[in-house]
Amino acid sequence: MNVIEAEGLEKTFTTRVKPEGLKASFASLVKPRMREVAAVKGVSFEVESGEVLAFLGPNGAGKSTTIKMLTGILAPSAGKARVLGLDPAKERLELSRYIGAVFGQRSQLWFHLPPADSFRLIGAIYEIDESDRIWRQAELVERFGLAPYMDVPVRKLSLGERIRCEIAASLLPCPQVLFLDEPTIGLDVIAKREIRLLLAEAAEVDDVTVFLTSHDIGDIEKLCKRAIIIHHGEVVVDESMKDLRHRALARKLVGVKYAEPVRFQIDGLSPVKVKAADVAGAAGIAGAAGVAGAGDGAWTAASFEVDTRCHQLPDLIRALAEKGEILDLTVEDEPLENIIAGIYGAQSGAEAAAAARPRTASAPAAPQTTAPAGEKAFS
Amino acid sequence: MTASAAVRRLGKYREVARMSARNKLRYRGNFAGSMLTYGLFVYVFSRIWAAAYAGKAGIAGYDYSMSVWYFIIAEVSVFGFGRFFWNLAEDLKSGQVAYLLAKPYGFIGYHFAQAMGQGLLDAGVIFLEGLAAGLILAGLPPNFMLWRLALVMVSLLIAGCLQFFLQMSIAMTAFWVEENAAFFWIFQKLALVVGTLLPLEFLPLWAQTAAVWTPLPSLSYAPGRIAVAASPGESLVLMGLQLAWLAAATLLSRLVFMAGHRKISIQGG
Repeated sequence: MNVIEAEGLEKTFTTRVKPEGLKASFASLVKPRMREVAAVKGVSFEVESGEVLAFLGPNGAGKSTTIKMLTGILAPSAGKARVLGLDPAKERLELSRYIGAVFGQRSQLWFHLPPADSFRLIGAIYEIDESDRIWRQAELVERFGLAPYMDVPVRKLSLGERIRCEIAASLLPCPQVLFLDEPTIGLDVIAKREIRLLLAEAAEVDDVTVFLTSHDIGDIEKLCKRAIIIHHGEVVVDESMKDLRHRALARKLVGVKYAEPVRFQIDGLSPVKVKAADVAGAAGIAGAAGVAGAGDGAWTAASFEVDTRCHQLPDLIRALAEKGEILDLTVEDEPLENIIAGIYGAQSGAEAAAAARPRTASAPAAPQTTAPAGEKAFS
Repeated sequence: MTASAAVRRLGKYREVARMSARNKLRYRGNFAGSMLTYGLFVYVFSRIWAAAYAGKAGIAGYDYSMSVWYFIIAEVSVFGFGRFFWNLAEDLKSGQVAYLLAKPYGFIGYHFAQAMGQGLLDAGVIFLEGLAAGLILAGLPPNFMLWRLALVMVSLLIAGCLQFFLQMSIAMTAFWVEENAAFFWIFQKLALVVGTLLPLEFLPLWAQTAAVWTPLPSLSYAPGRIAVAASPGESLVLMGLQLAWLAAATLLSRLVFMAGHRKISIQGG
């Protein structure tokens, strides 16, 4: 059953343009110049009950704006959204009874008072029976390890402790959907790990659908079953984490180091980095594209990005071994972060979508212009 | 809605008010600034009135003691309830307001409970200070009777509610304009002149006539007048007017919210 449905969701903001110079500033008092900024451009997706979904994108991609539309805080400029069968824009108050939201950069806890006070207030706001609230609070305090902090003013808590309290507080009313907007922002490695474990446990124990935005690939890899990547206000990737991870695992970084300089070419694959023995009379590491004659020079070391869906790894290694005496050979998985960074680096939604599609040919930095499809053998 | 559900629904606002009061009570120093300023104002004005009344029995129907007590009560409304705007405006401008919308409570009701939680404490402390200062500077209030004290307290409570809804309406203009502090300054200065520093009777006739058509006399003049001069009948008329303006201001704030909340524009996280 779908608990979240977004169909062609759009949000356009109108912002005042501040002109440069005194004269222009006076002119703008009389006739202000406005500019329209399309933050979200026709986003569509569905989220099933119980899913733990990563909603990713670089700064300014439209993640937070989408969350605000799904929680009824912002009214969409166009398109429709349904959360738990309710229209957030029209039924905000009703919807707010069944959802929880944690905004990493905002707090629902009262800054100068202990978290225990905020928990009691949240219990009252959600109209929870006092006995139920006490029981539920005790359970969350134990699970989140909050006992030492419950009577300490929030302002005296560390960021990690505060976020734990924030998440526990948002789970107090047993929401059916939990929206988390960058909950681990600014946290250290240990605190992040704790928050991830707690969120994973909450998703399982509390049977809550989790809609998580984050910049942290660790959050996503550890927690989520599915990822939607939004860029320039458009959805560019919507697939399972398994597929996304598989795509990352399909790409290998192969490094080779020879005892003596070797001179060879490999069809359909160019090194992304070489140690060229014969460039300017001195060996040095350089990007392949920046090395004059890369591909027909003599190398002592090289690195390749290999898409194993296009190239047989054993064939490449055999081909490399035939060229000379190998001192060292490394094969590494490409980090998932690189795949996502490639999408983030795109200049438009269409470009990001293209970057997101699985490659069918050779490595991304390959200087060759032809990109043969299908598996290749090396010679 | 069943009675218990209604009680629970109202209970959330009581809890918000309690939290707000607890928040205010966290430091004793939270009251020091306003108590000091209020005490200073009362003292300075008592000296001004002493000079103004030198050789005179009364001005516009008020004697020295009445004028001092009028100022003491009128200023309770300002010091207790006159500064809600700044917190409201800050919430609206910082974007914090957006996150408050994701909770199951009435937006205006939440802010009302929050404002009154600390406003009642502020007003209570200032009121007690005012009683002490008045006794020292001007003796017992003129025509002092217990019913008058009770009506003053009710009138101050209505004035506090009216202050909130008027200031909330002004603060919510932030849905349309980037900078709305100027609106509040105008409102504040008008309220100061019309019935806070001076009773309405001190103003020119045309100004008195114009003031009757505004909510300003209901903010400070009504409790001040009830404290020193109004008969039981006049007191009830003044409080009736206060309630009418309160109903109008409540409606106004509701309309402003309905028209403006869809204009909330917060980009980014």
